[in-house]
Amino acid sequence: MDFLIRLESTALSVWVNESLWGYPLMLSLHVVGLALAAGVQLVLGLRLLGLFSALRLEAVSRCLRLFWAGLAINALSGTALFCPQATIFVSNMAFLIKLSLVFVGVAVVAYVQMALTRGAPATASLRLAGALGLCLWVAAISAGRLIAYL
Amino acid sequence: MAALAQQLDGSAVNAWVISVYWLWPLLEIVHFVGLSLLLGSLLVADLRLAGWFRGMGLKVVHQLLPLAAVGFAMNLVSGVLFFCGEPLRYAVNVGFQIKMALLALAGLNALWFAVSIRPAMASWPENSESGPPALAKTIAYLSLALWFGVLLFGRLIPYVGTG
Repeated sequence: MDFLIRLESTALSVWVNESLWGYPLMLSLHVVGLALAAGVQLVLGLRLLGLFSALRLEAVSRCLRLFWAGLAINALSGTALFCPQATIFVSNMAFLIKLSLVFVGVAVVAYVQMALTRGAPATASLRLAGALGLCLWVAAISAGRLIAYL
Repeated sequence: MAALAQQLDGSAVNAWVISVYWLWPLLEIVHFVGLSLLLGSLLVADLRLAGWFRGMGLKVVHQLLPLAAVGFAMNLVSGVLFFCGEPLRYAVNVGFQIKMALLALAGLNALWFAVSIRPAMASWPENSESGPPALAKTIAYLSLALWFGVLLFGRLIPYVGTG
């Protein structure tokens, strides 16, 4: 808890909290990162489930570099949004669920990407991973929206 | 827009949106999942049109457009309900007004694509070395710029003034 309290008084926290543009800027970056990461992962997940079958799976998986770019933007902007209210976030159930879903969701995307890069065909386990990824990211977005309400 | 907002304020749908306590968070979830579908599919389709990701066929990448339409429909419905819930606040919000203007421009840009590019695409080679024509690239990048503008000004609605 000491660590979290110290996080709240770092220069980054003070800037996000007190400057006119800090908080809205980080929030804007967070939604851009969400559009990149969740958006591309939803396209890939639906492709794995059999939609857009004319698009080559291996070619769609190459779009995942946009997923990693979005994830990087959101790791940074998310840290900036977390720090000023660290003690509040760690006791917010929606936030804890969201973060867990994101970690598992990233692992699923990494697994799918590695398999597709090896040239693996869309096996049942890859399709299952695609479906799981879809559920995880929709759930993560939902939990994220609920942070302000729970 | 002000007249529309006056009409909606106090209407039955206005009362419904603000009285059902779980509706607003649910609409937010729908709006964010919808924007992911819309932006994600447009990102892949527009970047392909601009010459990226050439492993995907240019003519088949438009299979993604129905997904963009699903995302747009989700956001149209949830967005109209947001507006009905707080009509007087949205109507005078500068962020909301800019977002709507950018949305209209994005629509015109899509129309430009449908009129000037799409009919010609049938005769394009599936994967030419020179890449797509400059006009197609322009429309593709303009589409992404406008939609990300819609996204940003939408997110800023709670933080900008009322003009």
